[in-house]
Amino acid sequence: MSAHQHPHEEQDFLFKYVFSQDHKMISKQFLITGFIMGFIGLSMSTLFRLQLGFPGESFWIIDFLLGSWAENGVMLPDKYLALVTMHGTIMVFFLLTAGLSGTFSNLLIPLQIGARDMASGFLNMLSYWFFFVSSVIMLISLGVEGGAASAGWTIYPPLSALPQAIPGSGLGMTLWLVAMAIFIASSLLGSLNYIVTILNLRTKGMTMTRLPLTIWSFLITAIVGVISFPVLLAAALLLVFDRSFGTSFYLSDIYIGGQVLEHSGGSPILFEHLFWFLGHPEVYIVLLPALGITSEIVSTMSRKPIFGYRAMITSMLAIGFLSAIVWGHHMFVTGMNPFLGAVFTFTTLLIAIPSAVKVFNYITTLWKGNIKFSPAMLFSIGLVSTFISGGLTGLILGDSALDINVHDTYFVVGHFHIVMGLSGIFGMIAGVYHWFPKIFGRMLNNNLGNAHFWITIVSSYGIFFPMHFLGLAGVPRRYYTNSEFPLFENLLDINTLITWFAILAFAGQLIFFFNFVYSALRGPKAPQNPWKGNSLEWTTGVKHMHGNWPGEIPTVHRWPYDYSKLNENGDYVTGEDFIPQIVPLGEGELDGGGH
Amino acid sequence: MIALVAIVAVLLVIATAVQILKIAELRATESGKEIYEISAKQSKAQAFLLMVFLVAYFGFFAWQVWKWGGLMLPVSASEHGVGVDELMNITLWFIIPVFIITHIFLFWFSYKYSFSETRKALFFSHSNKLEMFWTIIPSVALTVLILVGLSNWNKIMTPISSETEHVLLEVCGQQFMWGARYAGKDGKLGRASVEYIEGVNALGIDVSDENSKDDKIVKGEFHLPVGVPVQFVFRSQDVLHSAYMPHFRAQMNCVPGLKTQFNFTPTITTAEMKEKTQNENFEYILLCNKICGAAHYNMQMNIVVESKEDYEKWLAEQKEFGAE
Amino acid sequence: MTTISLDNTKYKAEIRQKTAKPLLWIGLISIVMFFAGLTSALIVSKSNSIWIKLEVPSMFFISTILILFSSLTYQLSMSFTKNNQLKFATITTILTFVLGISFTVTQFYAWQQLYQSGIFWAGEQSNPSGSYFYALTALHLLHLFAGLISLLVVVTKSLLKKYSPTNVLGIQLSLTYWHFLTALWVYLFFFLKFIA
Repeated sequence: MSAHQHPHEEQDFLFKYVFSQDHKMISKQFLITGFIMGFIGLSMSTLFRLQLGFPGESFWIIDFLLGSWAENGVMLPDKYLALVTMHGTIMVFFLLTAGLSGTFSNLLIPLQIGARDMASGFLNMLSYWFFFVSSVIMLISLGVEGGAASAGWTIYPPLSALPQAIPGSGLGMTLWLVAMAIFIASSLLGSLNYIVTILNLRTKGMTMTRLPLTIWSFLITAIVGVISFPVLLAAALLLVFDRSFGTSFYLSDIYIGGQVLEHSGGSPILFEHLFWFLGHPEVYIVLLPALGITSEIVSTMSRKPIFGYRAMITSMLAIGFLSAIVWGHHMFVTGMNPFLGAVFTFTTLLIAIPSAVKVFNYITTLWKGNIKFSPAMLFSIGLVSTFISGGLTGLILGDSALDINVHDTYFVVGHFHIVMGLSGIFGMIAGVYHWFPKIFGRMLNNNLGNAHFWITIVSSYGIFFPMHFLGLAGVPRRYYTNSEFPLFENLLDINTLITWFAILAFAGQLIFFFNFVYSALRGPKAPQNPWKGNSLEWTTGVKHMHGNWPGEIPTVHRWPYDYSKLNENGDYVTGEDFIPQIVPLGEGELDGGGH
Repeated sequence: MIALVAIVAVLLVIATAVQILKIAELRATESGKEIYEISAKQSKAQAFLLMVFLVAYFGFFAWQVWKWGGLMLPVSASEHGVGVDELMNITLWFIIPVFIITHIFLFWFSYKYSFSETRKALFFSHSNKLEMFWTIIPSVALTVLILVGLSNWNKIMTPISSETEHVLLEVCGQQFMWGARYAGKDGKLGRASVEYIEGVNALGIDVSDENSKDDKIVKGEFHLPVGVPVQFVFRSQDVLHSAYMPHFRAQMNCVPGLKTQFNFTPTITTAEMKEKTQNENFEYILLCNKICGAAHYNMQMNIVVESKEDYEKWLAEQKEFGAE
Repeated sequence: MTTISLDNTKYKAEIRQKTAKPLLWIGLISIVMFFAGLTSALIVSKSNSIWIKLEVPSMFFISTILILFSSLTYQLSMSFTKNNQLKFATITTILTFVLGISFTVTQFYAWQQLYQSGIFWAGEQSNPSGSYFYALTALHLLHLFAGLISLLVVVTKSLLKKYSPTNVLGIQLSLTYWHFLTALWVYLFFFLKFIA
């Protein structure tokens, strides 16, 4: 038992820091672990970009870092696939799911809804430590015999089931599955807490339609997670059975390593269905919190209510619902029944509509605003740009007839990196810049932040935009090198250009890490409400305390978007351009933007 | 030694940066404000950079199209591919203007409305009319895309009718090469399974099956007659592969334990395509497009499209399976 | 959803009262999705020509009756507790536990029946239909073990007289979970009987 004794009582180190059940500490734990994993994932991609940009060339750093995974400073082809696989796994799950949701759901849910902590501090603590253990196991898998999992982050069998097919499918793949099972448990425990806390522990006056959009996004994300992650667990379990016990859920009619395998009656396509049933909602599990964070930052920094609050909620609900019925668009070329293909094209293109509505609402929020460009605001604008740029190419990929020629090419790689990777990381970074004062009680440096933004957005587009051209020219993904096909000879320069941008992007993140560490330790102390925001988190003390508010939790009287609200005389209602949620409504004043 | 110097250099850079930051903070407090306060001037500077970025982004896009537009795939070499390319054009004609217009609004608004001490923002929280406007317009556009897309998809997925003359060709993927087998005069492929793989019989064809006697196995390249539909049957012997023939706008996964199919009609011979692309080394190609192991990046087979006569001549020279 | 004023130091107990059940319910939803994934996998696998339609082993009928009974006895235990008949409550809880163990035993006998009729879990002579049989029932049993553990906790606390008509949350949570296991078993039983 821990936590909520008398506020002044000292806890021992183990309970206060390591096994903390305080949501703010757990949020920090998710953030740090997420960033460490992210840095590892980023380094992996920079390394394999060296191979792709300068195929076959020897690099000291590859020799130094990769050891037996490289020969004479050139990485080995199957280890290239291991790096690609682990990069994808780490970035999608460990950085952008646990790192993003874990950090901000934990930090903001109790603070923004007016609760002392999550519904179950114990489950919350477990959620983080499962994540930690899962991360450690995933990293250990890099060092085992045969190497790490190498069948792509999508780990389709039979490649992922048979060590004879690629070495990484031995012990490395086993550890991958163990780590992911624990990761799924972590994610589910977190989602349980988020949903129940939001629905049951809101403070007085905090109706559902007075919740900030961040909370709505975390709620919908958690629900989507509860529905979809267990199916990945089922898929992984059946794969474990095939690999370790000799069942035939996914395997049939295989001749490899000089012998016919005993498996019969299984289908790899079944795995694809089960995997993508999670896999597609997963990308929205990454995206929705980022979009929620963007709503918050754009509105606060523009000094305007978010435009179309209810439409934003409806859109997120539509996206959450539709995300569960589009998974087949990853499988158009598997030989599925053409009618199914048509259905999935239809639902996939449908999901573009609520996405478009959100984009238009963000842009309209900017219109006639009074915008301060903090680094968080810059990244949020960047997110809207990447969401548009990446989302639009989804219309090509989601159209089954068009997908035939671009499926599994670099066109897909460009698309998902821009719309999910960049949007996701921009949302996470924006959230860090914006809520750094809440997390660490200090301010990040704005000049370094601005520099970080500009380097990142320029280099990121430099990396991923050219990939569309590679894809349209027919270059497949997960290729160790493009130099084996005369067809791709003229395209090798594009790969080199992309690699230069990747190196620049990596360097840019170092600025951020420096800023982060320096400011967390010695940055200027944060004021109570640095961005003059309306939501409840800015009413808690700069210094963390268990239970968040000394004395009573404030009552809420209005929605969180009363920025620049004027009275009949054309003056600000409170004399300043914002009205926090705890300020009671004036006489005759309507709440919620006049709904 | 170099490593040591590098580490020291990095530490020095960090120490310098820390000092610079401390100085900057002091400077700010001396002039009465905190370093983290964002002034109207600073906002204006970032707003200006946003506009510069907008222009640069569009410029980058245009530059890429100019520099690499000519490196894209040549005109479709299959019948259905023409419709696919048309659909791609229609979609791009929709996507690119949307991309441009939304970005202009995004960055222009950011620039125009950057912070000013004297201006008040407009409390404009919702408009059902606007929401309907930009829900309905995308819906209409998407409906068009869906309809055109699905009509193409149906055409592509329709099997060749049994009366039509066609080539029946099985392509089998394995780590790390392709095997191709023609159905022969009887128009039927002999049964094949991994159980029958032995020695020379690398494709696992059932010797006892009558239909397999006139099947023809080819290596290195396979030929197709122009203007005649070809029905592909795909399978795999070990892991997932994908038969990707980009010039023909064709792709289909090769799955162990399952036969998949795809059909198209080639319309341009290899010789004609050499002319069109001004490249005498041009070859049509089959590549693997589903991660399949270490040499996934080098699993290829050439495809030659030629006149029917040339094709018949070439096919006659290929050995029959039963003739061993 | 109503809100609570959470300003006193006893708030942790209040929160537990309010949130324990919703937390359990959402956990149950995730377990449902897990089995939904597995059952839809079975339906897809079924379309393979190699699939053999299997007969449910006769032991499964007994398993079903046992688990249905166990839900009944556990529900009775709850009623007894609410009526302050704590001794009967303890007895019926122990009875539930015994029935749970019996269910487990019948599961093993059922698997033995399957094995003896040539239906194997894995290996060359196995068929995916058999693999699903074993997999689904084994995974259910695994979840049942968690239920048995919660039963043990309730039995222990019951013997230590920790429950009263106003303090039944612990029993309620375990009971809900137990009913869920019963419902899940009935679903799996009919699914395997008629669809697999």
